[in-house]
Amino acid sequence: MDLLFHDILIIGGGLAGLRAAIEAKKAGRDVAILSKVHPLRSHSVAAQGGINAALGNAPAPVIDTWENHAFDTIKGSDYLADQDAVEVMCQEGIHRIIEMEHWGTLFSRTEEGKIAQRPFGGAGFPRACYAADRTGHNLLHALYEQVMGLQIPIYEEWYVLSLVIEDGRCVGVLALNFFQEETVPIYAKVLLLATGGYGRIYHRSTNAVINTGSGCFLAYQAGVPLEDMEFVQFHPTSLYGANILITEGARGEGGYLINAKGERFMERYAPHLMELGPRDIVARAIQTEINEGRGFEGEFVHLDLRHLGRAKIMDRLPGIRQIAMDFAGIDPILNPIPIQPAQHYSMGGIPTNRDGETPLPGLFAAGECACVSVHGANRLGGNSLLETVVFGARAGKKAAQKAEGGKSGTYHTLFQERLRAFKSELEKIFERKGKELAFQLRDEMKSLMTYQVGIFRKESDLWSAREKIKELKGRLLHVGVKQRGLAFNYEFIQFWELEGMLHLAEVIVEGALTRKESRGSHFRVDYPQRDDEHWLRHTLAFKTPEGVRLDYKEATITSYPPKERTY
Amino acid sequence: MMRRMKSSLLTLRIKRFHKEKIPQEWMETFQVGTRKGMNLLEALLRIQDEQDGTLSFRYSCRGAVCGSCAMKVNGELVLACRTHIEDLLEKSTLIEPLPYFPVIRDLIVDMSTFFNHYRKIEPTLHGQPISPQTEYKMNEDERKEIDPYIQCILCGICFGSCPAFEKDPQFIGPAMLAKAYRFLADPRDRRDEEILKAVNNQQGVWGCKTVFNCVKVCPKEVPPTHAIVKMRGKLLRDKLASIISRLLSLSQPTD
Repeated sequence: MDLLFHDILIIGGGLAGLRAAIEAKKAGRDVAILSKVHPLRSHSVAAQGGINAALGNAPAPVIDTWENHAFDTIKGSDYLADQDAVEVMCQEGIHRIIEMEHWGTLFSRTEEGKIAQRPFGGAGFPRACYAADRTGHNLLHALYEQVMGLQIPIYEEWYVLSLVIEDGRCVGVLALNFFQEETVPIYAKVLLLATGGYGRIYHRSTNAVINTGSGCFLAYQAGVPLEDMEFVQFHPTSLYGANILITEGARGEGGYLINAKGERFMERYAPHLMELGPRDIVARAIQTEINEGRGFEGEFVHLDLRHLGRAKIMDRLPGIRQIAMDFAGIDPILNPIPIQPAQHYSMGGIPTNRDGETPLPGLFAAGECACVSVHGANRLGGNSLLETVVFGARAGKKAAQKAEGGKSGTYHTLFQERLRAFKSELEKIFERKGKELAFQLRDEMKSLMTYQVGIFRKESDLWSAREKIKELKGRLLHVGVKQRGLAFNYEFIQFWELEGMLHLAEVIVEGALTRKESRGSHFRVDYPQRDDEHWLRHTLAFKTPEGVRLDYKEATITSYPPKERTY
Repeated sequence: MMRRMKSSLLTLRIKRFHKEKIPQEWMETFQVGTRKGMNLLEALLRIQDEQDGTLSFRYSCRGAVCGSCAMKVNGELVLACRTHIEDLLEKSTLIEPLPYFPVIRDLIVDMSTFFNHYRKIEPTLHGQPISPQTEYKMNEDERKEIDPYIQCILCGICFGSCPAFEKDPQFIGPAMLAKAYRFLADPRDRRDEEILKAVNNQQGVWGCKTVFNCVKVCPKEVPPTHAIVKMRGKLLRDKLASIISRLLSLSQPTD
């Protein structure tokens, strides 16, 4: 058995993972990145509209400050965000964005040649720095270029199958090169998960096909709780049909939401901010219009950009024009875009402190798979990209400190043992003669999550979702993997990831069922009010042999006491 | 005469390759049910789910931004996710891996040469000195000069369509020359001479046959040939300027 070794191993090659790797490498550590796709294929590449920081570059009556940004973020979170973490993000975000610019990100510019900023939902200032509507693409390529410059090694198209824990400490992983047969043990003094979201447990999702939440499940399986998983963001505007994201920047540039009666209906839901209300409120408004019969074909409403004119659309929103033309055959210069809400982002995840440390020593997390928590019950648009670079860098820095010195390799026997145990587990899976088909279970789970654990939730739906997931977990034991061996085995990987997805679905349902209030993205039609007295606290879900066990912890309040949330 | 109805079944003839099999290569036909608005990537994923779990291809974003699913469809180089099946229903569709690259399995190709070429041009901004507190100032015209080239998603399609590789496999390739120009045109980068020197050879800008194949096939409308022509122009102007200055210095009376 060959045991590979790194000071720091980062799982995931999106923005958070790459940013962490750069920081750790610059601190002199032996760091490597492992990703199931080439880093440039990561879902960060699909982010469109912007990244927030109070640069104050856009003309406004008063100057923007990081405190304003923090307030907007906390109010947007429906007061569930940990305010100390939000303050860190909003302060350090300014430096991180300047740094990204210095590394080559091609931000759009103001007339004075500074980084351009546009209005975004739930924000009091034009604060979203943007590179046309391809901000994620620009940031990801710039970071990857830095990683190339630093010659950080990357295990491309590798999967992590299991974390290796010893004496209450994470010491590495069992990993798989998808093109080869052998499971490979990798020892790391620090392991950092930056695996992104789990959108693919929903039928309607803006997420990439690869977003299965595997990092969250690895941590959960290893005994780390998952925090606030019931808070699932539904993006108001996904392209009807393909559910590809249509950026909030389209509304930031002045786009209207119009129902089938021709009304700009947001005036009934957020009379001041209108289309630029926060995402939870706009998504509910659109879904209400559709549910009450004012949608088109009972399925969608229109996002109308025509009044912006050709020049502005070509300059500021070329990417979504391309998407609308490629995937719906519609040119937004000439016709409104049919849109509907779809799952978009996970506010919850692996709990971390402000330095990316999880409750399990040796294990760090950053980016969407982590819950710091800076988004609380609802994330503002433009804050997820910011979170990746701020907390990616912080986690990388802290990981580098933790990985300094220390012992580096009396683990040969341990890994050998774990590998043996893992292989016999695999044998059992391959020996199963099942009649169930993994893709059918997956599709049933996805429909269930979209239609019963979606934007509007109620007790009866959640109960039946709970039962259904239990049933699916049972049926999973009757899935046979026909193709033997691990190399190129999509069937096995999909089976393997499906198990994790079912567990995450279960955690979301348990949290949603138990949280008898409405806060941010979690809306209970049977408990439509926010209840600070009982529920101004974070959910923690632990994996037990009997299923999910829930616990709670206080949200951190610093300078912003909870208030009623109106827009 | 009866109007020919389009079938709702999609027929795909896929070129397979499994290194360990005998024979290693074969053609296989799949039929898959379709729905309105479906794209080719979805059809392939359906086949992988329902008919043959060994069918291998790359995928990620399914929105034409990640560059994973480049392949050859009826002789054209495309992203599968951006290809509508409505256009493929008339008769059976031939699917092959992206040309130029060695095949690893079915439609998965080995892109290591592609990324080796990418690293050769040192694609990392070498910034002019600046205070860490403030951004470089850049005007929108300068940004718009770079913008078309920065859209590249490194999918490899231009390599598959470029005839220059036939003459010289060491040709650095359209995407990389577009990338080199992206840094050359960037006022923040201090490497003008180095970049030009690196591409001033037969493996660089002079290897291009200026047939514009790459410009035609690029799914993101990146125009590598334009970058190549601009860099050639710059090199020629620099050369001319240096000849003139040498001539001028020769014609100066010496004492």
